[in-house]
Amino acid sequence: MDYVSPFDERRRVVAPLAPRPARLDGARVALLDISKRRGDEFLDRIEELLHTRGAQTFRLVKEIFSKPAGPEIVRRIADRGDLAVEGLAD
Amino acid sequence: MTPETLIAAPTFSLPSVAGPSLALADLHGDGPALLLFVSEECPTCSLTLRRLAPLVDGLTVAGMTVVAVFEDPPEVAARVARRTGFTGTVLSEPAPYEISRAYGLQSLPTAVLVNSEGRQSGRVVGWDAGGFEALLSVPVSDEAPERKPGCAAKNTYDAASLRALDGAGFDDAEEMFARGWTDGLPVIPPTSERVQAMLGGRDSDELLGEMAPAMARVTLERVAACAVLAGCRPEYFPVVVAAVQAALEPAFNVGGQAVTTQPVGQVVVVNGPVREAVGLNGSVGALGPGWRANMSIGRALRLVVSLTGGGFPGRLDRSTLGQPGKVGLCFAEDEEASPWEPLHVERGFDAGRSVVTVLGADAPLSVSDHRSTAPAELARVLGEAAAATWSPTWWPLGGTSLFVICPEHARSFAQWGWSKQRLRAELFEAVRRPAAELRWGETTPLVGAAPDDQPVGKWSSPDDILIVVAGGEAGRFSAVCGPCLGMDATAISKEVPWTT
Repeated sequence: MDYVSPFDERRRVVAPLAPRPARLDGARVALLDISKRRGDEFLDRIEELLHTRGAQTFRLVKEIFSKPAGPEIVRRIADRGDLAVEGLAD
Repeated sequence: MTPETLIAAPTFSLPSVAGPSLALADLHGDGPALLLFVSEECPTCSLTLRRLAPLVDGLTVAGMTVVAVFEDPPEVAARVARRTGFTGTVLSEPAPYEISRAYGLQSLPTAVLVNSEGRQSGRVVGWDAGGFEALLSVPVSDEAPERKPGCAAKNTYDAASLRALDGAGFDDAEEMFARGWTDGLPVIPPTSERVQAMLGGRDSDELLGEMAPAMARVTLERVAACAVLAGCRPEYFPVVVAAVQAALEPAFNVGGQAVTTQPVGQVVVVNGPVREAVGLNGSVGALGPGWRANMSIGRALRLVVSLTGGGFPGRLDRSTLGQPGKVGLCFAEDEEASPWEPLHVERGFDAGRSVVTVLGADAPLSVSDHRSTAPAELARVLGEAAAATWSPTWWPLGGTSLFVICPEHARSFAQWGWSKQRLRAELFEAVRRPAAELRWGETTPLVGAAPDDQPVGKWSSPDDILIVVAGGEAGRFSAVCGPCLGMDATAISKEVPWTT
């Protein structure tokens, strides 16, 4: 039987994960706060732990958690960071 | 046996469920091909596919092409492959199964290993764990049973049995469930003919937008497929399309609504002449079942969100509890029973236009009041019900509440001289508490920071209150739909292109 699919059947190209770093020493880590409550507390603690392992960190904040990060935030993470940590949900 | 003594594998070309036809030569060459002849009706075939499914990736990496050749139509083959988790190549062999005959099959499953020279280098009949280990040189499942005989191959059937098979056992309603083209209820299969009828000559490729979270291209054809699945008649389609267009507005944030843990559904309110033309109910039972247009239009939008858009419950839709309105909720405003201007007129459209207004909202909460004798009293009853929505302590909501006022309540307000604007303003003013009374459970930052005696309202603005009139002529039951929060989402109205 010939049916019309409700789905967008385009094949998605799955981007491969970047190689995992062997160590954090000297790595530049982006910490993305999506603006959910207490996400900043979570990232504060992550930041402390990253510093003890010799990583540098920088923080970014999404305007609202329920929408995708804007291209400017993505670009800044890509330009300035080796790694990114996102504080999701609450 | 030496390679020269191996029997050549009969050549073939068969339709693949994933694309163009494949010939035997496409399957071997760089490495061997494992042909698994199977059929849907045979339980041992399903067991074999399930047992071998975990090995497919490893065998593929090792250079082998793993192929299931179904003695079934492509859609059946695809369904069984999905059900068994088989991710290798899937081919469909049509009746009268001459390729199976050429391979000398007596029963299914039969696995034939074809080496890179195109010769048969081994065979396993039925499920035989040891036989497969020897054939493939990899460990296979040691779950019981280790051996299980299969069923007769269809090439061994006589002509009368084959005719009896034709079409037997194929249930297109069940096929929709197997494909996952459903919200859990039966659907109308979207055949090409039905989708064409739904489109009514419109351009099937017209792109309405991209919908998150799948970032899917929402074409008119896909919307039409959802409308067919939902049970819409073609004349409903302009309403469905307008609702989808509204949902695709960035300010609606459908992607956020689709994936949230909140119970939000997408409510569709319809105004204007299209209501009567398509049989949309705004009267008795307006928020419930019983009317095809109401049920199927609301469901069509939800199918676009959950299927096309990828917000399917339990997958990317993470709604903790869900709610029945997530099946779909569409109703007409009963403009004729309303003493006030209808919603679309308030929102800037001419009264004679047909308009859908779509908003993200929680399930309707019924509010009974048969005794109030003054407008402020009735408004307070309605407002206090809304005060409990989202959470009794979350003030202000920071989102939109939809009040569905029943005709008897609306008439009372009108007799008392209240306009819709007055009711909105009075609701806004009536539902206030001192901050100290709200400082329990989960409170908003505003309440946390406010002085104890500062009044805090349930809404930030009267504009956060939408009012429509709907319901049966008897009974004093109104309703309020709680908000969708945190989405920066607003109600969106779109005109339905409609001429009477």
